[in-house]
Formats: sequence, C-alpha cells, structure tokens
Amino acid sequence: MPLFKVENLTYCYPGTEEPALKNISLEIQEGEFLLVTGGSGSGKSTLARVLAGLIPDFYGGRIGGRVFFKGKEIRTTDRRRLAREVGMVFQDPEKQIVQNSVEAELAFGLENLGLPLEEMSRRIAEVSAFMNLSPFRESLTANLSGGQKQMLALASVLAMQPHVLILDEPTSQLDPVSAEEILNAVKRLNEEMGFTVIMVEQRLERCFHLADRALLMDRGEIVFHGSVREEARAALSSGLPFVPPVARFFAALNFKVVPVTVKEGRELLRSHLKGNPAPALAATSPPETAAPEEEQESAISLKSVWFRYPEGPEVLKDVSLDIQAGQFTAILGENGSGKSTLLKIMVGLFKPGRGRVYVHGRELGHCGFREVRKFTAYLSQNPNDYLFQDTVEDELLFTMRNTGVEDRKLVDEILHRLQLERYRRRNPRDLSSGERQRVALASVLVTRPGLIMLDEPTRGIDLRLKTELGHFLREESAAGRTVIVVTHDVEFAAEFAEKVVMLGAGRIVTAGEKHAVLGTSVFYSPQIGKLCRGICDGVLTLAEAQEHLGPLLTAKPAGLRGEQAVWG
Amino acid sequence: MFDRLFYREKGLFLQSLHPAAVLVYLLVLLILSLVYEHPLYLLALLLLVALLIREADGMEAWEGFLKAGIFLMLVVMVVNPLVIRAGKTIIWHGPAVPFLGKLDISLEAVYFGAASSLRLLVVISIFCLYNLVINPDRVLNLFSRVAGKSVLVLTLATRLFPTMVRDLQRIKEVQQLRGVDFDTGSLWQRARKYSGLYNVLLLSSLEGAMEIAESMQARAFGSGRRSTYSRNLLRPRDLFCLGSSVLALLAAVWGLHYGCGRYTFYPEADFLIKDGATLAVLFIVLFYLSVPLLLSEGWKHCRFLKSKI
Repeated sequence: MPLFKVENLTYCYPGTEEPALKNISLEIQEGEFLLVTGGSGSGKSTLARVLAGLIPDFYGGRIGGRVFFKGKEIRTTDRRRLAREVGMVFQDPEKQIVQNSVEAELAFGLENLGLPLEEMSRRIAEVSAFMNLSPFRESLTANLSGGQKQMLALASVLAMQPHVLILDEPTSQLDPVSAEEILNAVKRLNEEMGFTVIMVEQRLERCFHLADRALLMDRGEIVFHGSVREEARAALSSGLPFVPPVARFFAALNFKVVPVTVKEGRELLRSHLKGNPAPALAATSPPETAAPEEEQESAISLKSVWFRYPEGPEVLKDVSLDIQAGQFTAILGENGSGKSTLLKIMVGLFKPGRGRVYVHGRELGHCGFREVRKFTAYLSQNPNDYLFQDTVEDELLFTMRNTGVEDRKLVDEILHRLQLERYRRRNPRDLSSGERQRVALASVLVTRPGLIMLDEPTRGIDLRLKTELGHFLREESAAGRTVIVVTHDVEFAAEFAEKVVMLGAGRIVTAGEKHAVLGTSVFYSPQIGKLCRGICDGVLTLAEAQEHLGPLLTAKPAGLRGEQAVWG
Repeated sequence: MFDRLFYREKGLFLQSLHPAAVLVYLLVLLILSLVYEHPLYLLALLLLVALLIREADGMEAWEGFLKAGIFLMLVVMVVNPLVIRAGKTIIWHGPAVPFLGKLDISLEAVYFGAASSLRLLVVISIFCLYNLVINPDRVLNLFSRVAGKSVLVLTLATRLFPTMVRDLQRIKEVQQLRGVDFDTGSLWQRARKYSGLYNVLLLSSLEGAMEIAESMQARAFGSGRRSTYSRNLLRPRDLFCLGSSVLALLAAVWGLHYGCGRYTFYPEADFLIKDGATLAVLFIVLFYLSVPLLLSEGWKHCRFLKSKI
C-alpha cells in the first residue's frame, strides 16, 4: 500500500477560477525521497500543502479528487494524528519560528500534541543532540544565524517524530555551506532513519542526486514523474530548465545515460578524456567584453572601510574595493559576513566608522544616500518592502514623483523590458513572488539609474526568471550601467557576473575576475566548475564547458559514449 | 538602537535565577519603593538597585531609562514647590500668579519634590532591572499553565516586536532611496510620508502573520488540549532569593508599624535620622534585599559557593 495516494486532485485557491492543481494522480511509497520541481506558479508548493493536510483546511478554496494517507482519506484524518505523522518545513525560517528561545521552539509542537513533560524533555534532548542544537538550547531564536534558524525549524518538526517530512524550498534563503548542512541532515534522515522525504526545490544542483524520484510540474499539472535520470532527459527534451547543470551538459552532448552528480560526471569525463587531455582555460583571463580596468572609470571605490553596529561586533574590517563603471560584480559570502552592510555603505545608507567611500569619484559626505539616490537603484532582500500602491504603475510613478523624473515614457519602457505590461493595473500584492520581485525592480529602475545594486535578487525565484534577470542585468551592464549583486547563488554569479568579490567575517577574502575567484574555490564554485576542476581548470559555465570539452567528447560515436559510462 | 533596552542573554548569575524568584524579589522592591516615604530609605533602595543594575551589566541600558524618565522627574521637582503651600520654611517669596496665587516656595515643598523624584527614579530603575535580568519568554512560560493562549499571543508579540522594528527601519531605508525625505515638509506632508511607511509594514506583517499561522497549524496548534513544557529549574539560589525577599518584606512591615520608613514633610520636615531604630530597620531590610547581590558576587568569586547554589 502506498503511503500517499492522490487521485484526480484539482484545487482552486479561494477567489480564483484558475486551478492551482489540475487532475493530479500520484503515489508515494514509504521511505522514498521525492523531489518536486518546476517553475514559479507550477503548483509544487500547493501540492506539498495538500499532502501536509494544510489544503484545504487552512487555506479554504475548492478541492476535487481524493488524497489518501496510509489508506485513509486525508480530510477525514484527525489533525493531531496527521501532524504526528507528517511534518512540514517552510521556506523562510523567520516566518515559522513562534517562540523566543530555542528550547521553547522545540517544545512548541510537542505542547500542541499534549505530550507529558517527561516525554517532551526526552524528545527535545534527542533532537537537539541529533541536529547539533544542544549548545544553543538556552539561546534566543533572534540571535541565531539563518542556517541555524532553518535547522531549528527542521528540528522542531522532527521533535514531533513524524514519518514523513515535507520541505518547501528549505535552502532558498541560505548560503551554500548552511544549505549543505540542511541537506545533509535531510539525507541522513532519509537514508539512516527511514523518513519519507518530499522536497520542493528549484536549486537542483544541491539536491537532485539525493532523490529517488523526481516530479516535474508545470501550470498545476505533473509533466513528468519517474527516476531523476529520466526526469533530466524528459525536462531537456521539453525545453524545461529544471535539470542540474551537470546533467544538462551531458544531455546536450547526446549521452545515452545522463549523470546527475558531480562524481558521476567526473568519472565519465575522465573515462572519455583518457589520452585526450583537455586544455585548461586561462583561469585569470578577463572576459572578452571587459576592457582593461585601468582604462575604466571607477564607479565605486572603498578605502579602508570599517563598520560596526552600535553594541555589535565589527561587521566590516578594513575593506578596500574598486568597482569599475559598467562592470557586473557579484558579492558572495556566508550569512552574516557583511555583504548587505557593504551594499548599504556603498549606497550611503550607513556611514563607515573609519575609511572613505567614493561614488563616481566623489566622496560620500554627510548627506549619504541623498547624494547618490538620483543615479542609484537599490533593491533590498525583500521585494515586499517596495509594494504599497494600488497598482503596479502607481508604484513606478511614486519613485518618479519623489525623484523629480517626469518622462512617462520611462514607465512604458521599463514595464516592457521586465514583461510587466499586463500587470500594469493590477495590485502588486496580488502578484506571485517572482512578479513582485520584477515590480520592485521596475520601481527602482524607472529613473534609469547608472548604478544598480541588488541584495539577493534571486531568492525565491525560479530558474527561468533567474535566467531572465541575469540576461537583463547583463544588458544593463553592457549599456554602461554598473551592476552590483549580493547573492548566495553561486550558479547565478558564475553565469552572469564579470567580477566576484568574496567576503568572509567582514573582510574581503578575494576579489577579481570570476574565473580567478570561483575557479579556485571548492565550496563557492558552480556545479560545472566542480565537474571540470582538475580536468579542464577554469571552466565555470555550461557554455564554457561545451565550448572547451564538447569537441573532445563529441569526437567519439554517441553509442560508444553511453556504453562507456562507468555507472550506467 | 533599542536593542540595549531589551533583555539580552549574557549568562549572568542574576539571569539564571528562577523567574518566580526574581519576580517576587522585584515586586518586594517595588512595594517598598512605593510605601517608603523616608528619603534615606529611598536613597538606599536606589543605591541597591543601581548596584544590581551594574551587576547585570546594564549601566548603558539604565542611562537609556533615565533619559526617558528625567523629564518626569523635572516636572515633579518643579511643579511640587509651585503648587504646595503646606511648607513652613519659606525660602522665596514670589509674585502672585493667576490660578496659583502667591508663589511662596517653601523648603519642605522642595524637599518633598526631590523625594518624590527619587521615588520615581527607584521605580524606573526597578523596571530597568526587570528588563535586564528577566527573560520575558521564561516569565511567560511561568504563566502558560494558567493562561496558555494569552501567553502565546504575548510571546508572539515579544518575538515579533523587534522584527517589526527592524522591518520598519529597512522599509524606511528603501523609501529614502526612492526619494522620500521623512524630515522635510509640513506636518501633514510628513504624516503622509509616514503613513506610507506604516502601510507597507502593515501589509507585510499581515502576510507574515499568515505564514506563521500556517506553520503553527502544521505543528498541530489548535488540534486539542495543549500541555506545558516548563524549562525553569529551581535551585538553592532561588530559595535564598525567595526567602530573603519575604524576610525583607516582613521586616519592612514590622518597621513601618513602628514608624520606621515613614517621614513627615509638612508643615516642617522631620529629622533625617530620628533614632537608632530608623537605621537598624533600614540595615535589616537592606541586608535581606542584598542577598541576590551578595550571591552574585559570591558566584563570581567563590568556587565553593558556585557549586552549592
């Protein structure tokens, strides 16, 4: 008997006619690791909420079809019993922590189940030890890092000892190292403790290899479900981007069996390149489009900048940095390394304790942001901070009015470029997260600023939107505008940025042309970089891998390539 | 900016006490500060609370609290001599003023104003101490058995308040970069600018509230009767504090019964030290109230005591 059985499920959110899920039929077996992927609005999170029993109980709406859990219809299952069996972890750790202290948060679900004190104490002790949270038991939840908060969210669900764990993009807010910790914990739960795991995820390079089976969704329907290798092939043949870069690379070269992990890919590469060495990419060579730095004007220059928050530790320590005009720079680093603070200093929101900041050659004075805002677009981590007008158009006009820009054609132009024309009269709060992101971006770009600074712009948006955003920013950079992006998304930085700055504990660890920085890093390296490390050094992107390795790999017949796969 | 005014875990002895013990102790301090009229007693209480605040590493926070209370203290000190006519020792004959009559400032009225300000200072300092040593979460946990849902609402409010302060700051920064100047324009214009700011905060908070509610529902909240997880441990130090608080209160009540701690301001101010009993009672009450302070010092410097309490 399957653990979950879904029959002809169709669901509409309250007040909408368009179904979020259409005629879904599905079975999930006990102990399975199911990966659910797809674009924004594809219905993957909705499906997760149906399986967790939150739809329609919490959301309302109209539902058709049936969902069974352990042979019993989920809607007739007692809510307390279901919560004991099925646990759910959400995307944003900030929005799922209820209590002030770590221990109280771990106890929250157990209190709701009405467990006796002794049982609660035992479970809290166990789960704290398993999730390495024991040192933080007495800590305040507000003092934890993003990764620790998500670990706590996971632990508070695990304390309820469910058999099924549903995770809705649990790593989307985290830096690569913290994300790896969460995924390792989930992997252990699945492999060593027999948890059934259903994970909704868009950053496939992180978790594709962990799954037994993948489910690809598009516009509320299941486009494909099967093994992850079959999913990779199916997605590529339908032109969908939901495949990790390694698989995409080999599938594009018509390999019969597609590897899904870096390890498998490297073995395959080595077996093919035997006696046929790949030429290393000149790791420090600048991209062809970039002019030598000394010929360009410096857009932003920081000289020995130090900064600390009142009562806090030093956040930035002796940071010196030059960003050339027209350059696309990505700033990477772990959570709390000072990336967002650095951006706020560049934009004049914070005044450095020591050191100087120059924007287009002029030192930022006492007026700070007032001196630079006319030619600067700044997008904070949360696009919702921008949205309060009745329509998308009003949102753009608000910025124009405040900055004294009157040319209404600019509104049409930016709406067109960001594909927002059809939402012009819509309330921005009624749009999806990806659309909100674009509205927020439009509201700061409408004045056509020369300096574009974005804080985590790829958070929570799907691969397709991310690619569109990357191309858009590249075009802006090519048009002479300076683009600075703070991000955790190494894949995005490797694909679109020209220069990468790596921050660690408030200091610049390394900065330079992206191949020189990312090509030498192990943890902050894109998947293609990891694939080619030591085989064809310096390669970071799919296009580069295809250009440098493609000719060597396609020299042999396709059939032979498939047979030679060591893991096939 | 507001962070230092709120509770922060510092691993201090005073923070490790059972919330019930601290609550009782602070309540006794508060009662005594309201009941005592004698300036010497109030001064002693202020000194004790100041030492406790220093022990709780909160001098900066105290400064913040005092800044907020200084205006009130000045008002009390200025208004009292102007409106009270009961004093006998006139130190300044002023002109006649409408509504107030002749402004005769008496020494006793000035004295009473100063003593009232002192009392206000003690009360403000006790609240400062409360913020420094009591984890609000643990206090709420103490009451969750009797008022579970109300406590949860309060817990959520205390958790979300700092988050909302941070959100508001971030939204303000975003709007400033979108060309909004909050410190320019007429009062009406400024009010409109701020209304936009709070509008964003309200919309985002409502959306955030839905997400938190969903997470609570996923963890079986509201699925039936809840149990309570108590995290508060009762140690010998808590018993010492509770015991000494009760003894201090008893000693104070006994003293007040015999007039120790009372003080006559009008028509003529009493002697500051009337007799030996005044000092003896003050010493006894102060000794009992100093127990947490003494234990804290002992905890820091005496290994034996640390292992025993």
